Amino acid sequence: MLVLQLLASGLQTGALYALTAAGFALIFGATRIFHFAHGATYALAGYAFVLADHAGLPWPVGCLIALAVAVAFGLLTDVAMYRPIQRHSASFFTVFVAAFGVVIFIQSALEMTFGRSFIAVSSALTHASQVLPGLYLAQVFWVAIAVTGLVFGALGWFLSRSNSGIALRALAENAELLRAYGLSARRFSALAFALGSALVVPGAVLGAATTGLSPVVASHVMLVSLAASVVGGIGSLRGAAFGGFLLGIAENLVVAVLDTQWSEAAGFVVLFAFILLRPNGLFGAALAR
Amino acid sequence: MSAYLLNLAELGIIFGLLSLSLNVLIGYGGIFSVAHAVFFGVGAYAGAQIALHIAPDVLLAALGGGLAAGVLSFALALPALRVRGEYFVVASLGLQMVATTIFTEAQGVTGGYGGLVGIPPPSLFGLDISSPWLFVSVCVAILLAVMAAVHALMQGSFGRSLMAVRDSESAAQAFGKIVPILKTLAVVLGCIIAGAAGGLFALQMSFVNVESFTLDQSVLIMAMVIIGGVGTLFGPLLGTALLLLLPAALSFLPGIPPTELGAVQQAIYGLAMTLLMIFRPGGIAGRAEGRR
Amino acid sequence: MMMRRTVLKGGLAAAAGLAPALLRAEESPYVLGTLFPMAGPNAEYGTIFTEGAQFALKHIAEDKILRRPIVLRAEDSAGTPQGGAVGMTKLVNVDHAIYVLIGFTGVSKAAAPIAARAKVITVNGGGVGPDLAGLSPYYWNVIPLASAEVERIVPYLVSKGFKRLAMMYMNDPFGIGVFKAMQAALPKAGGELVGAFTILPTDQQFAGVAAKIRDTKPDAVYFASYGAQQAQIIKQLRDNGIDRPLATYSGASIPSVLNLPQSEGLLFTAQTAAWSSPDPVTQRFLADWRKTHQSQPSTYHQNYYNAVRLFALLAQRLEQAGTPINGDTLRAELLRVRRFALVGGEGTFDDLCDLSMPIDINTVHAGHIVKLA
Repeated sequence: MLVLQLLASGLQTGALYALTAAGFALIFGATRIFHFAHGATYALAGYAFVLADHAGLPWPVGCLIALAVAVAFGLLTDVAMYRPIQRHSASFFTVFVAAFGVVIFIQSALEMTFGRSFIAVSSALTHASQVLPGLYLAQVFWVAIAVTGLVFGALGWFLSRSNSGIALRALAENAELLRAYGLSARRFSALAFALGSALVVPGAVLGAATTGLSPVVASHVMLVSLAASVVGGIGSLRGAAFGGFLLGIAENLVVAVLDTQWSEAAGFVVLFAFILLRPNGLFGAALAR
Repeated sequence: MSAYLLNLAELGIIFGLLSLSLNVLIGYGGIFSVAHAVFFGVGAYAGAQIALHIAPDVLLAALGGGLAAGVLSFALALPALRVRGEYFVVASLGLQMVATTIFTEAQGVTGGYGGLVGIPPPSLFGLDISSPWLFVSVCVAILLAVMAAVHALMQGSFGRSLMAVRDSESAAQAFGKIVPILKTLAVVLGCIIAGAAGGLFALQMSFVNVESFTLDQSVLIMAMVIIGGVGTLFGPLLGTALLLLLPAALSFLPGIPPTELGAVQQAIYGLAMTLLMIFRPGGIAGRAEGRR
Repeated sequence: MMMRRTVLKGGLAAAAGLAPALLRAEESPYVLGTLFPMAGPNAEYGTIFTEGAQFALKHIAEDKILRRPIVLRAEDSAGTPQGGAVGMTKLVNVDHAIYVLIGFTGVSKAAAPIAARAKVITVNGGGVGPDLAGLSPYYWNVIPLASAEVERIVPYLVSKGFKRLAMMYMNDPFGIGVFKAMQAALPKAGGELVGAFTILPTDQQFAGVAAKIRDTKPDAVYFASYGAQQAQIIKQLRDNGIDRPLATYSGASIPSVLNLPQSEGLLFTAQTAAWSSPDPVTQRFLADWRKTHQSQPSTYHQNYYNAVRLFALLAQRLEQAGTPINGDTLRAELLRVRRFALVGGEGTFDDLCDLSMPIDINTVHAGHIVKLA
C-alpha cells in the first residue's frame, strides 16, 4: 500500500512537472530556443498568485493575475532578450547564459522581496482523507489530475485543429516555408512563448497550494522540467509530458527504498542515465551530432 | 583590517584557480559545465581527510584533491562525449544535483551536513605556514604555477586542437583530431585544478561541508568566467576579482541591509550576465568572436 | 555561500573596524560576540536569542557591575555549519571577541574548533545536540541537551501507552544526536522504535515521509527539526492522515509553532521556566521584562541573559583580582566558583562547564504552553 500511496503522490507531482515541461517543449519546438528562463516564469506566476490570495482576492482572480504575469514575462524574454541576441549571435552559449542570468536575477529579486523561506496558500483541499486502507488522497490530487487532463486535451485540440496551432507546428518543422506562405514567423514565435508560459500557471498555482513556494522550489521545478523535456525527447510535447510524470513518480517511489534525501536526486539520476544511454530521449527526433 | 584583506586574497586565489580551470572547459573546450563545484568539493573533502589523518601539508592536500577530482571527472567526461551544447548543460546540472545529495549522505567521508570540522592549520614540508602572509604567499605561488602551465598547454598543439574542436567538432574530426581524447583531457585537466583549489580551501577554512559545493557555487564560478571573459588567461581572473569585491563594495552602499547583500550580489551578476550576452558576449576581457 | 558571507562580513567588519580605534581614547570595551541565524528560515531564533543577550547588557550597565563597557558584535551564522565556521573566524580574527554566544548544534560543531584554537569562550544557550557536552574546554552549555530531554519524555510517553514510536529527524549533527539518544532511551523505558526517517534542513515536502510513517503504524510520532520547518512538518503530517500524538523537543517553543492551529495537543519538553523562583535576580528579570516587552519571556531569553550575566560575574571577579581577562582565566574562574546567581535560581556548573537544569513536559493549547508534568 505504501507503493500505491507513493505512486499517487508521484502522479500529483508528475502532473505539475508535465505541465511545466510541456510549456518548455512547446517553446523549444516552435522557436528552437532553449528557454532556460522558463523556471523564472513559474516562480513569478506562483508568487503572483500567492500575493493575490494574501491580498484577499478570490482564487479565479488570482489565477488570472498569475496567467497575465506568466504570459507577460514570457513575451518579455522573447522580445527583450532572445531576439536581440539572435540577431548577432545564434550560438547556444549566449542564449543559455542570458537566460540563466535572468533566472538568477529573478530568484535573487524574489529572495529580497519575500525572504528565503517559503510562503503558501492555505486551502482545505490539501487535507487528505483515507480512500482505501493505507491510501490517503487529498482533493487537490483530483484537481491536479483533472486540470492536467483538461489542459493537455485543450492543447492537443489547439495544435491539431486551429489555424494558429497548425501554424505553430509548421513553424517547428520549417520556418522558411512558413514565411514563404506569408505568415509571420515572429508573430508565431511570440504565440509559442505566450502559450508555453501560460502552461506553467496551473502547476504554479497547485504548487503554491500544496507544498508552498520559495525561490528555491521554483528553481527545482525548472530543473526537473528541463530534465523531463530531455528525457522525453526535446521538442516533443508528448515526450515532455511523459517525462514529467516519469520523473515525478521516480522522485516519490524512490522514497520507498531509500531515505527521503534521495528523492530530489532520483529525477536527476534518471536524467543522467538517459543522457548517457539514449540522448534522444523517449520520443525525440534524432540529435544531429 | 589586514586580516580581512589577506582572507579576501586567499579566497581570490582559490576562486581564481576555479574560474581558470572552468575556463579550460568552457572557454577553450566549449564544454559548458555547471557542475564545477562538484569537483571543487571532491578536492576539498580529499584535502580535508588528508589534513586530518596524514598531515595538513598544503602541497599534499592540493595534490590529493586534484587527484581525487581528476579520477572522478570521468563522471563528467562521459556525458561530454555523448552530447553537446544544451544537452550537456542539463546533464552537468543533473550531476551537480546528485552530487549534492551524495555529499550529504556519505557521512563517513564528508561528515554529512555537519561537515568535517577542526581541520588543522596548514603547513608546508613540516613548517607551519598558518600565518596569513605565509599562506597567501604559498597560494600565490601555486596560482602562478598553474597559470603558467595552462597558458603553455593552450598555446601548444593541445590547446589549438581543443579550440578546433570547440569551434567545429565535425571539421576537427575531418582533420584527424581524436575528439573524444581531446575533450576528456580538457575535462580532466579542468577538474584536477578545481580539486587542487578544493584542497587549499579545506586548509584555509579549517572546515568543509556540502554548503560550499552546491549549484549556487557552480553558477558563481561560471559567472566569474563569463563576466570576466572566456577563452583568455586573464579574463576569468578579472571576473573573480570583480565578483569577490562586489559584496565588499556593496556593503559600503547605504540602504542595503547586511543580510540581503548576498541576494543583491546575485541579482547584480545575474543581470550582468544577461546584459553582457546581449551586448558583449565575450565578457569584459574575453576573446572576441572569431578570434583565437 | 561561503564566499559571499566571508567577504560581506569582512566588508562590514572593515567598516566597523574603525570603532575600536576611536574608543581607544577611553578604556577599550570588552568585545562580546553573537553567532546566531539573523536571516533565513531560522531568523526567528536569532531575534529571540539577541533580545535575551541585550536585556542582560542593559542590566549590567544599570548595575555598573564592570569597570569597562561591553560591546556586542553580531555575526550571522544562518543556522548552518558553514555560516558558523565563517562567522566564528570573523569574530575571532577581525572583531577580536573574547566571549561568543552561539546557538545550533551544527553551527557549534563547526565553530568550536576555531574558537578553541584562539581560546575564545563560546557559550551555547539554544543548541541541544548531545555531542555539545565537552565539545571543547572553551565551549560551555547553559541549556539542557537533547539527551536529557529525550530521557525525560520517553518514560512519560510509554507510561501513557505510546510504546511504539516512529521518528523523523534532521540529517545533521543535531538530529543525528537526538536519534542516537532516542535509540538508547526508548528500549530502556520499555518502548520500541518502529521507524526512523531522515529529512534535510531544506526539505519542504513531507508527504512521502508521512506515508512511510503511517506504514509503520506507530502509537506516537517524535520529530526533531528546528525553525520554520517544524510548523511545516506538523501541518503536513496532520494533512496526510497522521492523527497520532506528535512529540518533539524544546525547539517547538517558538511562535510559528505555537500559533499553528495544527499544533494543538503537541507534546514537547523544555527546561523548566522557573519564574516562580523567589530569588531577586529572577524576579527582577521577570518584572522588568514584562514591563519592557509587554509579554512573558521564554527560556531562550533566560538562557542568553544568563550567558551574558555569567560573563559579567566572572569578569567582575577577575577585575577585582587584577587578573587579565581571557579564555583561560575565565574558564579557571568558572571552575573555581561553580555556583552563580542566575535567572532561575542558583546555577551549578559541572566539570565540563555545563549548567544542569530541570526539564518539564508541556503541551500546546490554544497557542499557549501548558505544563503537563
